[in-house]
This record gives sequence, structure tokens and C-alpha cells, in this order.
Amino acid sequence: MILEIDGIKKSFGGLVALDGALLEVRNNTIVGLIGPNGSGKTTLLNVISGFLVPEGGSIRFNGMDITGFRPFEIARLGLCRTFQLTRLFRRLTVLENMLLASRTQDDSLGSVFISRKKLALHEKADAKRAADILDFLEIGHLGNEYAGSLSGGQQKLLNLGMMLMSEPGMVLLDEPVAGVNPSLANRIFEKILKEKEHRTFLVVEHNVDVLMNFCDYIFVMNRGRIVASGTPDEIQCDETVIEVYLGG
Amino acid sequence: MLLDYALDALIYTGIYAILTISLNLEAGCTGLMNFGKVAFFATGAYTTALLTTSGVPVIFSAIAGVLLSAVFGLLVALPTLRLRADYLAIVTIAFGEILRMFLHNEDWLTGGPIGIRGIPQPLYQYFDGSYLLFYLFIVFITLVACYFIAELVINSPFGRVLRAIRDDEDAVAALGKNTFLFKTQAFVIGACIASIAGTLFAHYLSFISPDMFLPTLTFSIWTIMVIGGRGNNLGVITGSVLITVFERGSRFIKDYIEMPFGLEPYNVRIIVIGLLLILFIIYRPDGMLRERKSRSPL
Repeated sequence: MILEIDGIKKSFGGLVALDGALLEVRNNTIVGLIGPNGSGKTTLLNVISGFLVPEGGSIRFNGMDITGFRPFEIARLGLCRTFQLTRLFRRLTVLENMLLASRTQDDSLGSVFISRKKLALHEKADAKRAADILDFLEIGHLGNEYAGSLSGGQQKLLNLGMMLMSEPGMVLLDEPVAGVNPSLANRIFEKILKEKEHRTFLVVEHNVDVLMNFCDYIFVMNRGRIVASGTPDEIQCDETVIEVYLGG
Repeated sequence: MLLDYALDALIYTGIYAILTISLNLEAGCTGLMNFGKVAFFATGAYTTALLTTSGVPVIFSAIAGVLLSAVFGLLVALPTLRLRADYLAIVTIAFGEILRMFLHNEDWLTGGPIGIRGIPQPLYQYFDGSYLLFYLFIVFITLVACYFIAELVINSPFGRVLRAIRDDEDAVAALGKNTFLFKTQAFVIGACIASIAGTLFAHYLSFISPDMFLPTLTFSIWTIMVIGGRGNNLGVITGSVLITVFERGSRFIKDYIEMPFGLEPYNVRIIVIGLLLILFIIYRPDGMLRERKSRSPL
């Protein structure tokens, strides 16, 4: 198990967002997390990635307890996330966005004055790797454009590219294809599928059809708890799920 | 006489340009709302004034000023940089005023409202008669050095993180960067450069008093940065030339032109600069020189 989440509790004032959520993710799988609006999916992602501190429960990543770690510490361990609304650095070029995501470049202040040769060499290698990833995502020609000038779909692809650039062991994707046309959505998931041999994915997505096609396993959330889990086939026939979604 | 005016204006331009480069690093590139720039300028000026009038060589007093500014920068940064941008603005304004009040009231150390006189002008004896020109040279060299250091920092992987923080801090944290550490470092470098400008200022005037370090100076530096071009060091230098020459020029132009309604040109200056600022914000928010797209390393 690469990720084990046990009994996570989180409330905002009187509103209980997470009420003992519990799930496990196996290495090199694509796991979907679905549920109606307000069921706590994004809150759970925020807790896992350290942006929110849970009131109870534990999060283990590769066997290590990371509960209460700060966001940058969790990202450094190789557990990375994307945001629901694409969050890019608009006034940086596409290539710079990619370079920023590299976890191997030395970005200390001291290096600016001391090891400039080494920086330049590393920068070149990173840029080459970035260009390859951008080509893989079919946005290689946009490297020197400002990220803010990309279309919505291209921004989603760049976000995915940055995530690949940082070579994480596991990725939390928050609605990677929200607002994206169906053919691009399929393309994005095909890219994710190709990366499965290297990494693990936990995907929050409303586009259930796409998830059913690409996920190995699916968790269903409602009112801050996991109410069902199983393979896509099992989930499609699960009565609780139908109830949750249709409010029956 | 006119030449002296020109040299004086250029020296001021250089000092303001150094200050604006330091602000540009914090506010222009990293997005830190530092409204207390004048505090670090004053720290440099008072440190060197106090030390050199007690016989310490300028080079050591300048370094002492930089170190003290760095400490002050750290003290302001540590509690505030974890908070949102607006809190930093409030705290820095307050810090500038607290420091000025301290300089104003602690007579035993700072001479109180009268300030400090007789700050030595380095190497004066060798350049008697052409001292302004020599001092302009010193200021120019310092400006060039600060420019290159700032450029080096901004265009490095470190600087890239700073520029990314300006766009979206949480997203930088999600990439595994300790944003607090980066912001603190940017703030401290800014404080150090501002201190150098203060050192140059004190030795140029050879007299300083607390009323030279009012918050309006901070706002002038902000104006220069916005008009010159946020995030572009050449832009903020150009802005310094424009604003300072205009500002210094309006001081003596009253001897040459007649203003309608008996208006004082030096006061009209404030209105004109304010208007200019508004026009720039509306019609050219990027300033005179836009931030340059960073070159591809390939």
C-alpha cells in the first residue's frame, strides 16, 4: 500500500466535512474517488496534501506517518497534487513552469553565487526533459509562451506535465478533466494510463464515465465517509452508490 | 551651478534607483507588499552616520548597516511572512514609523529631531572641487553592482521560485518548496540593498535627521517602481531617472518659469506625479518597460 488513510476527521465550525474517512491505495494503480458535491472529496485531498490539518485519524505514505506535515514537506516525499482549478504560474513561461516543478534542481540562494556552472548544466538537462514531456503531451510548441496565455485545455495539459516533471511516486489529481471536451479528457486519461507503470494516481473526478474506463479501483464518498468501494464493474451495480447519486 | 544641480539630481537618481531595485526584488518579483522600505534605508543611513562620526571607516560602517538591516528584515519577516500579503503591508508601515519615532525620540543615540551632522564624506580631501562628480561615480558603481546582483538572483532557479510565489504561493508549496524560506530570503536581500542606498545617502548629505525618513519616501519608491516597470530592473532605473530628475528639477525651476496663480512648482510636482501614477495604472499597468520574458535555457 502506497497510501493508507485511517479515520480522518475534519470539520469547519459546525460542518463536519470528513467523518472518519478510510481508504487504501495500492502501488501503480489508478484509483478514482467519486461522490456528490459536498461529500468531502476535495477536503480529503487537502488533508492528504497537508493544506488542511485533520482533527483525527492518520495518513501513511509509503509506510511513513505524514499526518500534520506541511504541504512542501509532503510534496518533497513524492506525494504531489494538482488543484481543481488549474493553478499555474501565469507570468512564467510554459518551460519555466516545467523547470519549477523539477525536484532535483538546486534552487537555494547560495547556489546563485557559488555553483553557477552546475546550475546551468542541470538547467539544460531539465529543459531537455521538460521539452520531451511537453512533446509527449503535444504542447511542445508552446514552451516559450506565458502559461497565462494558454487555453483552458492546454493549461490542464501543462499541469499534468508539471506533475510528471516532478517525478512523484504518487499523484493526487483534483478534477483533471473538469471543463475539458470529451476527446481531450480521454487523451489526458490515456497519458495518465501510460504513466501507471511509474506512479500511482488518486483521481477525484465528476466525469464518472471516464473514470469507469481508466480506474482500477473506485472509492465512493458521501457525507465525509467512504460508503462504497470496488472495481468499476462492482461500483456500477452497487446499490449504495445509486442511492447516493440519485438521493433515493 | 547648473552642472551641480544636474550632478545632484543624478546622485539622487542613483540612490533612489538602488532603493527601487531592492523594492522590485521584494514587491515586483516576489509580490511582497513592503510598505516600510524607508525603515531599511534609515537603518543604513543612521548606522553609518553613528559609526563614522565615531571614527569607524566607511567600509565597515556600510557592512554594519547591511547586517543590522538584515537582522531587522528578519525580525519583521519571521512573524509576518507566514500571513497573507496585506498583513505584511500593515506591519512594514508600522515598523517604518516605529523606527522613525525611535530615531526622533532617543536623543542620546540619534541626536533626536536635530539628527546627526558632520557625517564624513569619504576621500573628500582628494576630490576637492569635483567631489560631486566623484560621488556620482561611487553611486553609479554601486548601482551597477546592485543591478547585476539583482538580475543574477531574479534569473536563477531561486528567482524563478520567487516569481512563482508572486503568482500563486500555495501552488509553489504544492511543488515541494518552502515558500516561507524563499520569501524571508527575498525580504532580507531587499533590506540589505536598501541599507546600502541609505549609506550612500547619509555620506552624500553629511547630515541626516528623522524627518528625511517619512513614509512618503516609501511611496515615492513605489511610484517609481510602478511607473518604471514592476519586475524589470532596467525599467525601475528608467523610472528613477524620470521621477527624480523631474522631482529635483521642480525645486529650482521656479527661478526660471512663472507658474499661473502663483503656484509653487515644487507642490505642483506632487499633483503631476500622482496623476502620472494614476494614468500608468489605468493605461499601462506594466510600467514603461515591461517585465521581460525569461530566456529559454535550451
